[in-house]
Amino acid sequence: MDLSSLIDSLHPLEIRVLKAFGAQPSGSALETERLATATALEPSQLSMAIEWLLAKSLLDIDKETITPVVSLTPVGQDYHAKAAPIEQVLTAARESASTGRRLTIPDLQAKDGLDPSDVSKAVGKLKKEGVLLIIQGGCIEATGRPSPTAERVRALLQQLHNGPRELEQFTDSDRQIIQDYAVKRGNAKEPFRVDDRVARSFKLTSTGIMAADHLARQGVAEEVSQLSPELLKDGSWRSKRFRKYTISLRAPRIGTGKKHPYREFLDTVKTKLVSMGFQEMRGSLVETEFWNMDALFMPQFHPARDIHDVYFVKQPTHATKIAEPFLSRVTKAHQDGGKTGSTGWKYAFNMERAKRLVLRSQGTAVSARTLAAGPLTPGKYFSIARCFRYDQVDATHATDFFQVEGIVLGKDINFRTLLGLLNLFAREVAQAKEVKFVPAYFPFTEPSVELHVRHPRLGWMELGGAGLFRPEVTLPLGVDVPVIAWGLGLDRMAMVALGIHDIRELFTDNLELIRTTRGIF
Amino acid sequence: MPTISIFKEDFESLLGGARATRSISIEQLEEWLMLVKGELKGHNPENGELRIELQDSNRPDLWCCEGIARQVRIKQQGKSKPYAFFSKKTKATQRLIVAPGIESVRPYVAACTATGYRVTDDGLAQLIQTQEKLADIFGHKRKTVSIGLYQLKKIHFPVTYELVRPDEARFTPLGMETVMTLSEILMVHPKGLEHGHILAGQSRLPILRDAKNQPLSFPPIINSREIGEVRVGDDELFVEVTGTDLAMVILTLNIFAANLADRGATIEPVEVQYPKNTPLGKRVVTPQDLGTPRTIQIKTIEQALGQDLGVKTVKQALEVYGYEVSAGNGTVKAKLPPYRNDLMHPMDVVEDVAMSRGYGSFAPEMPAQFTVGGLSRIEETSDRARELMVGLGFQEIISNILGSPDQYRDAMRLDDTDWGKMVEVDNAMALTFSCLRQWMLPSLLRVEAASSRAFYPHKLFEAGEVAIPDPTHELGSRTDMILGAVIAHATAAFSEIHSCLDVLFYHLGRDYSLQPVQHPSFLEGRAGKIVVGGTSVGVIGEVHPEVLERWQISVPVVSFDVNLSQLTSSE
Repeated sequence: MDLSSLIDSLHPLEIRVLKAFGAQPSGSALETERLATATALEPSQLSMAIEWLLAKSLLDIDKETITPVVSLTPVGQDYHAKAAPIEQVLTAARESASTGRRLTIPDLQAKDGLDPSDVSKAVGKLKKEGVLLIIQGGCIEATGRPSPTAERVRALLQQLHNGPRELEQFTDSDRQIIQDYAVKRGNAKEPFRVDDRVARSFKLTSTGIMAADHLARQGVAEEVSQLSPELLKDGSWRSKRFRKYTISLRAPRIGTGKKHPYREFLDTVKTKLVSMGFQEMRGSLVETEFWNMDALFMPQFHPARDIHDVYFVKQPTHATKIAEPFLSRVTKAHQDGGKTGSTGWKYAFNMERAKRLVLRSQGTAVSARTLAAGPLTPGKYFSIARCFRYDQVDATHATDFFQVEGIVLGKDINFRTLLGLLNLFAREVAQAKEVKFVPAYFPFTEPSVELHVRHPRLGWMELGGAGLFRPEVTLPLGVDVPVIAWGLGLDRMAMVALGIHDIRELFTDNLELIRTTRGIF
Repeated sequence: MPTISIFKEDFESLLGGARATRSISIEQLEEWLMLVKGELKGHNPENGELRIELQDSNRPDLWCCEGIARQVRIKQQGKSKPYAFFSKKTKATQRLIVAPGIESVRPYVAACTATGYRVTDDGLAQLIQTQEKLADIFGHKRKTVSIGLYQLKKIHFPVTYELVRPDEARFTPLGMETVMTLSEILMVHPKGLEHGHILAGQSRLPILRDAKNQPLSFPPIINSREIGEVRVGDDELFVEVTGTDLAMVILTLNIFAANLADRGATIEPVEVQYPKNTPLGKRVVTPQDLGTPRTIQIKTIEQALGQDLGVKTVKQALEVYGYEVSAGNGTVKAKLPPYRNDLMHPMDVVEDVAMSRGYGSFAPEMPAQFTVGGLSRIEETSDRARELMVGLGFQEIISNILGSPDQYRDAMRLDDTDWGKMVEVDNAMALTFSCLRQWMLPSLLRVEAASSRAFYPHKLFEAGEVAIPDPTHELGSRTDMILGAVIAHATAAFSEIHSCLDVLFYHLGRDYSLQPVQHPSFLEGRAGKIVVGGTSVGVIGEVHPEVLERWQISVPVVSFDVNLSQLTSSE
């Protein structure tokens, strides 16, 4: 690391320490205490800074000395305020001598603020010094002699009350007393404690000296956490340092404006169809049976027109009218073919039934409306229409779903151009190079074909169905050129693109899921 | 359309010739199935069972093992062998007499006998399956067509088809141990309960009886157990079809006769004697070939297929698909085989030519004519609005349109208001899916209610269709595009959603004003109509706390609903 990036990486605390060294003659060692004074840092901050500098090899330990230091424990502070047990025992014995009242050890032990074990220890010590006698009946009697221990304890409490002192500074006898009354393992209730104080002095390494010199020469910019309009306005940002962030941390989560992944998928389909020259057509959620089925040459007795396959509208039940000449022409096409060249279905067409209102069950209804509305020839149309099926809802069936459907009209439309169009869909919509055309049945097309493609990720799948509209469909609606009707089944592709396995999840109410689903289109 | 079950060995033997002794691969079978618009749905290698879905609802002759095998066999052999019993020269050996009166109930009947084929396990399974599929799907759950099979030996001809009073005739029906009257059968027998509605309101009921007055069956409900139960090993059968449409009745019998003939039976026609004229006269010999040849221009076929084929190729393609064809000058005269009746338009023949030659034999060609693509006006507006909402930080959602009155109306406090009017479904399967949404807010609250654990703020929108009841519209309702948005968090308030609306309208280039409105879904004094050019195009406000309680939403919600269709049409 070069010097400038080293300087850049320094924390303000480290700079304080380096500057303290810089103020000393080069190469001098500083002890922790002097560093604390020179840097005016809290001990914890200073020790952090020292650790970091040692780790960066800007600082070395010069010397390390271990000094035992004596200090008062909270118990010691208490004794200093109220007298030590030995003193209290002595005072009590002397009082009893002057009043002549008998004093026993249990009397002492019962005394307020005295611990029985402290009493025993004090009595033992004083007896050894000849200050007390135990006479008959367990009574204590003062001899009148002074107790050196009690006096020294009092003196030591007084001395240490002002602060810790090195053990070395005490006489041998005091040190003995200190050891006797110091906190030890198994006995924490003592007035004194002896700790090893590690005193270290530090010296800059050669890199450290360079860094300190550099800081001394350049001065150090004040650190700020945030650039502010004020800093920009007066240009003072130039003399600031900007605290560096730990940029590897995880970013906090935010909500975002985003399209729904399924709509995004449908948008890509929409864009592709428009780019292939298709014009969008739209229809109504509520349709008549006429446009939903009759106009598509599905006979009124067709099994798929059963009450169990289509949703009927409750109110009003019937449309006010069906536009002519379509109603009459379609009626004839069903009954005997009319002018379509067909034999028709040979049954009595029910015009009232044609007006029955249903929820649109197939997108082809939109195509039928477009055919009747005078479409362009040549023309290409598509719709992404919401349709409704009378199905039990489960993982693969939804009550309402999108159908991608459309038509292509033109003089050059025939079975081969139908296959050509399906090839185009395979390539553009499913990125498939391999296709298979399988004969299929739809009530309104002849010939009919199913498009099977080899999807790059899904393998062989059915992509859609198509066919040439029967003349019984196109002619009554006023179209006299061949028309391709096509539909794409894209839900499976959508589910794979969105990584879901249940069709109901396309319309999920789980916001977390919607926010985090990422489409791979 | 029907999914049937056939057995591979049975199928192989029906193919005849060299195929009978060689096992067919599944790949080969799948290729053949393209000839019949069939899809292999399942295969059990242990017992050779194949599950096949047949798509063409106009080809009931293909809904059985015999029919599929026949179509493949003709293609293999290059030509069909005509069935002798369809020839006009074949005389009927037995008679079936139709009594007066039945024309008002179930007018038509067709019948034949089949002898010399000893019924096998597989054969019986196919007979029963074909009987069920034809009556169920082609015959609209027996309403238009139903079929009966009997032991020929027990029948004394002529058979009579007539009406009797419900208590006048009695027999032991299939599946029962005791003799029952027809009215008892309707009330007790499972088939009577299932199909009895077909005869609802009839004071007299149809019955087939033989010359000794033994009941054969009570069509279309149930056969007699005595005569009308066919077992493995039987080799003399009587087949009858009754129904409401003469052509369908005869077609159904033709299919049965061909199927039994394919299995080795000798078919002998029955003459049906009607009391009055039918479209085919008073005496109708069944089975009968009802097909009439149709002359078709080769050009029609070539134009539709986009390929020059010539008369010879077309003739051959149709012959190997079972047609009877004679070639003319630039035309073919084509007749369907007697077991088919699905030629309505020359385009039907076009498809058969394509299938016979194989779809793979046609080279795809791109439509060459130029067209301009584009979106509808409303879709463009909707897309612009969606872009803006995304820019405003809203997450798009998407919902079902079909929902419940509780969501769309009751929980929104809109009962008995104009805002609560909806398009409702007459035959709903469940209340949960019984009406179309008339506005967007409930769809958004649906997500909000389920997402209290997703981090806040929640900003949601949906652009989508709704159905608005409208008596002036010929369909009784309009389909409009609505943009709805909600903001939900602890301090969500009117001004926040108002700012969003303001930005949206600015960039859609529309001036609007807000007018106070008393809308039950919103807090009074904190809701407004969005007015553009004097027309209300939506509503904005703070959602009423009672609505939030009903949805169990525990943060304030503010919202707007804008009718983009109205906004676009007012431009």
